[in-house]
Amino acid sequence: MNDNYLWDRTGKPDTEVQELEELLGTLRYQPRPLAIPATIKVRPNRMVLPLAIAAAIALTMLAAALWIHFAKSQAGPALQANGQAQPIAPSKIETPVPSRDNQTVGTVAKQATNPTRHPKTNPVLIATNKHSNVQIRQTALTPQELAEKEQVLVALRLLSAKLNLVQRKSQGLPQVNTIRNQHKMG
Amino acid sequence: MIEAEATAEMLLMTGAFRSPQTIDEPIEQTLVRAVLDGEHDRFGRLYEMYAPLVHGVLLARVPRDEVDDLVQDIFLHALRKLHTLRSPTAFGPWIAMIARNRAMDFHRASRDTVEVDEHTAIAKPLNRTAKEVLDLIRQLPDAYRETLVLRFVEGMTGPEIASRVGLTPASVRVNLHRGMKLLRAKIGAVARP
Repeated sequence: MNDNYLWDRTGKPDTEVQELEELLGTLRYQPRPLAIPATIKVRPNRMVLPLAIAAAIALTMLAAALWIHFAKSQAGPALQANGQAQPIAPSKIETPVPSRDNQTVGTVAKQATNPTRHPKTNPVLIATNKHSNVQIRQTALTPQELAEKEQVLVALRLLSAKLNLVQRKSQGLPQVNTIRNQHKMG
Repeated sequence: MIEAEATAEMLLMTGAFRSPQTIDEPIEQTLVRAVLDGEHDRFGRLYEMYAPLVHGVLLARVPRDEVDDLVQDIFLHALRKLHTLRSPTAFGPWIAMIARNRAMDFHRASRDTVEVDEHTAIAKPLNRTAKEVLDLIRQLPDAYRETLVLRFVEGMTGPEIASRVGLTPASVRVNLHRGMKLLRAKIGAVARP
């Protein structure tokens, strides 16, 4: 047998191989046009997925930055209160309504008015703001700032919804039906 | 052992994809990218280039009457899933694998049908028909029968088979020679009185 002829049809033709070629060549593929239905949709390039992931990461970082910003601005009074930690004044505790049970009333009143029960708060247990040079910002937002904050949150929600849509499309998942509470026809 | 490795390499596509002496590689890349960019009519060129390969892969596994329709189905499936193809240069190995999987699905779905056995098929050993020889080839291991069908039926050379299927030329050469040896033995056994 001529190996080269079997391999790439070079060299001296091999009779047996030639016979097989002639015999089996009758079964060869006969060209037929490919009928592509109009309903077939070819998805775009795979670059959509990496872009969606990058957008998701960027949005997450933006949301985290905004969250930290608002959390800091709302944490102001708490830090101030900790810095001025004082025991609760006994005069502010409401006296219970007197009843017929004098003994109970007396006990409660004694407990409420006894200033020596917690004579001194342990300074170790008080949470204090050690960064004394930190400037505490005003907590109250102006109406304009509140409106801006609301706008940012709405924009984030919209972006998040769009990102979800892109992810579902890129992963080939079915779209979420966003129309809810609709009456069925018929 | 080498046979098993060659078969595994072919089925699992574990071998490094090399394309020797091929002029189709840049064309494939261009065509796949064009189709993905929205030029769907360019898929027709890919179909023309690879239909014989898919035809051969299927003919080695499923009845001939079913092959033509399956070829069309496979290309339509490939068009739908083209975005999942990682490397445009691997279009040939990719669509060949789709064809092999589809052939397996076909056999799973049609287990109840009666297959023609060797003795029925070889009624006239001295005056063999193409179908009878094809039936003999189909009795060979996967890697051999596919390579032999591509060589004898579709008329591809060894290097062409290697570049289109994504195997190394050495593997294809081994498959061709061992397959030919087994086929000759089968033909001889049938021809013997």
